[in-house]
Amino acid sequence: MIQLQKISKHYPVGFGKNDILKDIDLTINEGEFVSIMGPSGSGKSTLLHIMGLLEEPSEGQYLFEGERVDKMNEKKRTQLHRGSIGFVFQAYHLIDELTVYENIETPLLYKNIPSSERKSRVADVLDRFNMVAKKDLFPSQLSGGQQQLVGIARAIIGEPRVILADEPTGNLHSDQAKIIMQLFKHLNEQDKITIIQVTHSDVNATYGNRVIQIRDGHIQP
Amino acid sequence: MLTSYLKIAWRNLRKQKVFATVNILGMSTALCVALLLSLTAYREWTYDNFHENGNQIYQLMTEEHGSFHTKKGTSMVEPLAATLKKEVPGVVRTTRIGEVNMPVRYGANHYYLEAQMVDADFLQMFTFPLVAGNKQDALQQLNQVIITQKTAASLFKQEEPVGKTIEVNLGGKWQPLIVSAVAANVPDNSGLQFDLLTRFENAPDYVEIKGKWDAASYPLFVQLDPAVTGALFERSVIPIVHKYYVEKLTDIKKDEGTLVIKTIGLKDTHLNPDSSYYSGLNQFYPWLMVILATMIIGIACINFINLSIARAFGRSSEIGLRKSLGAMDSQLMIQFWSEAFLLCFFSFLLSIVFTVLVLPYYNRVFGHDVALSLFHNPWLLLGALTAFLTITLLAGGYPAWKVARLNIVQVLKGKLGLSKSSTMRNGLIVVQFVVAIVLISCTTIIWQQLNFIQSASLGYNAIQVISIPIDNAPSNALAAMRNSLAQLPEVQSVTGSMLNLGLGKDGSSGNWTRGFDYKGRPVSTQNIIVDYDYAKTLDLKIVAGRDFSRNYGTDSTAVVINELMAKQLGEKDPIGVELMMNDKVPLHVIGVVKDYHFESLRKKIDPLVMTMKDASSLGYIFIKVQTNNPVNALKKIQQTWRRINPLAEHDASFLDENTQRMYRHEQRFSKIFMSGALLAIIISCMGLFAIAVLVMAHRQKEIGVRKVLGASVSGIVLLLSKDFLRLVLVAVVIASPVAWYFMHRWLQGFEFRVNIHWWVFVIAGVLAICIAFVTISLQSIKAALANPVNSLNRE
Ligand SMILES: Nc1ncnc2c1ncn2[C@@H]1O[C@H](COP(=O)(O)OP(=O)(O)OP(=O)(O)O)[C@@H](O)[C@H]1O
Ligand SMILES: [Mg+2]
Repeated sequence: MIQLQKISKHYPVGFGKNDILKDIDLTINEGEFVSIMGPSGSGKSTLLHIMGLLEEPSEGQYLFEGERVDKMNEKKRTQLHRGSIGFVFQAYHLIDELTVYENIETPLLYKNIPSSERKSRVADVLDRFNMVAKKDLFPSQLSGGQQQLVGIARAIIGEPRVILADEPTGNLHSDQAKIIMQLFKHLNEQDKITIIQVTHSDVNATYGNRVIQIRDGHIQP
Repeated sequence: MLTSYLKIAWRNLRKQKVFATVNILGMSTALCVALLLSLTAYREWTYDNFHENGNQIYQLMTEEHGSFHTKKGTSMVEPLAATLKKEVPGVVRTTRIGEVNMPVRYGANHYYLEAQMVDADFLQMFTFPLVAGNKQDALQQLNQVIITQKTAASLFKQEEPVGKTIEVNLGGKWQPLIVSAVAANVPDNSGLQFDLLTRFENAPDYVEIKGKWDAASYPLFVQLDPAVTGALFERSVIPIVHKYYVEKLTDIKKDEGTLVIKTIGLKDTHLNPDSSYYSGLNQFYPWLMVILATMIIGIACINFINLSIARAFGRSSEIGLRKSLGAMDSQLMIQFWSEAFLLCFFSFLLSIVFTVLVLPYYNRVFGHDVALSLFHNPWLLLGALTAFLTITLLAGGYPAWKVARLNIVQVLKGKLGLSKSSTMRNGLIVVQFVVAIVLISCTTIIWQQLNFIQSASLGYNAIQVISIPIDNAPSNALAAMRNSLAQLPEVQSVTGSMLNLGLGKDGSSGNWTRGFDYKGRPVSTQNIIVDYDYAKTLDLKIVAGRDFSRNYGTDSTAVVINELMAKQLGEKDPIGVELMMNDKVPLHVIGVVKDYHFESLRKKIDPLVMTMKDASSLGYIFIKVQTNNPVNALKKIQQTWRRINPLAEHDASFLDENTQRMYRHEQRFSKIFMSGALLAIIISCMGLFAIAVLVMAHRQKEIGVRKVLGASVSGIVLLLSKDFLRLVLVAVVIASPVAWYFMHRWLQGFEFRVNIHWWVFVIAGVLAICIAFVTISLQSIKAALANPVNSLNRE
């Protein structure tokens, strides 16, 4: 499903350049549950952004479902964002002007899903995350952990085929983290959704079926 | 989706109060002002547009070029109309038009009605539809009269007007006229205004001018065949001039001059100074209004765009996020555009409310007569709509487009500060202040010039002298006034003159230029006919000889000249010199007066000859009063005049009032300019304030850190204000030459004018900087005083 071939990423620094990722070769098949681990600053988020089509690699090729990403036009990429990829950001990134309900609803709006179906799906997700009481609050009125939950809810509501989650449980109590992990596992096993998560927690990593260690921009064998 | 956009837009508006207020208020006032100004300009441009044959109708004028003078006139000789129709191919219809304020009697009631005396072709040429009667025979008889609906209502109330007989006073005699038709009321954008129409032959002086090719009398309009242009007509009329203007041409030829007949298109008469229907409005003014309107709208738009960009960058994470959730760039642009649209729409509604509220006041203060009904024109409406959509598109779409094109992750990391847009933003702020400063300095210079004109010494006593238009009073009116006023202690002297000084309540002015040979040399001079005591009444200084006097029997062949005329004659001692002004009787110079401004200060003083003739040539009575209560004196004199001439239609006025009236267009113009300048400044400052708010919010953390590190409040205020003040300074540098150029051009219209001083620009600049500084300080002091912990804790 995801194929990275000799992917590199570097930023210009002064007159030289700062390599973040170097020659990454990685294949992730449909239905896998992968955990990416590594020290801070090792390039995990950057890698995830590249996989999520949020950032472009400096070198190398990225094939999403066998198709070269760099050859895609804006429309095709947008289509992937709408239907195939659900992204959970490391810092929650909710739309401040929208309520919890509306934040979760937004991806469905972009997918042109009819109003009645939107309602039932949002209600469903709110229920699953125990956030029904908070649905009319704005992000600024939520705790950090709650904001993260909304971010996850928003990522899964579009029923994507792959979920990319950047430290989804970073701000959560271990009980809540467990619930999220179980949810991910459930989505992975029942709905055959591919899941790629970045995590610092060994416990969380055990939910997945593969762990990728990254260090200084290299994948550790 | 759209509802979702509008919902967000609405929440944003409520959350960002400063932003919303500045935008809506600024935009709506600007729209309101622009609407008023463009309506005014539009009205001036569409004068006389309603005539179906408008493009084929021309007013005729004569242009006489001599070696020393050019004389233009729209008074044409009586036989010309019929001759043109008969002898010039392409002339379809002609009408002479004489305007008279006609005393009218019906039953026991007297009225003064504006009458146009016209030829039978008039109704076919001009589009003044009849509501009763028919065009073919409404003006066939000399005793027929057409009245307007309004006139019919006031004369006959409910009665049927057609067939009724009214009496009109023609040359002092009451004569019956039969109402043959009723015309629809004359539209107010018509240069030709009338209450009644009657045949040209009813003109009071018709007998005197009939058949004469040397007595120019009334305006003349021709309607040409659609295939014939004005220029073509001008060429084909040359033989007519040679054939018929024989006497006149021999006169002119002496001066090596030429005489041609020219045309003025009907639709141009309103703004063409040569036409007798000229409104007095400078052709440039409607353009100026449109320019001013555009400037003000531009300033408001700049606010809008600047604030939208600043805010769009503030909301960059939202944009990035939406992209990652599957929003297309175009969708994002539509979202931002819909927000701009909402704002503009509110502003638009508000501006219409403003306009409706302000319109009566505007018409009163600026002396315009503008109505919103002008918007019935679909093209105008379409134009306004297009402009409106473009503005919203620019203001909303542009920032979204800019942000949407950026890399998502960069946008999400929020590293796009306001700094990204600063060249654009700074450029726009500079433009705003350039406009504001240009307007301030122009206003100052216009004000100086008007002040100069008003306080300039005119060379005669304008303060103590009252002027009365004689109108059509009997010719013994002046003598009767002299007698009656002799009893009033405050009256010092009384005289008469052919022409008024300044512009009286009758609103008419004129001049009479004559050329003749003096010692084999052509000379040209203005001529006025005056009465005894002219110099005494006006306090003119006699530099040689004497004024006209009853003690000398020969004064009917005497003239008094001004210094410039004396200089033109080239005589050391001009007293006693003989002038052959009309080939018949030699006139001799008895006195020289010091030059005085008998015309406006726009012109330089011309040579002048004053002559005496019979009282019927006089148009105005001048009365010098010595009193502590001028208002009361004016009232007493007014009463005396009413007793002598019960049909008097124009009131008396002091001469200084008349001279002011001469510059009323400039005054109106400066008022409009001043208001425009003020508004431009206010809107610019509102924008600056809002930008300052946004920038301060953005730099709050920096300010907090600096304070923790020990910066003083004043230091921080300076730091924050510095960037903005630099922009205003740049604007001063750009604006000064621009303003200088425009004002230099404007002042060329005045022969007597102020110099443009450099300090005007310094003052304008300092003023702009002060206003800007105060505006920014309001915000930066607040930011500097804020508790640093608050700003650091946020985020
Ligand atoms: N826009 C940028 N310009 C320059 N360097 C950048 C930029 N974005 C990220 N980096 C660098 O890339 C490196 C990898 O960052 P990344 O966010 O991928 O780390 P991470 O592994 O996710 O760390 P963490 O566990 O703390 O989230 C860091 O050293 C960071 O400084
Ligand atoms: Mg990270």
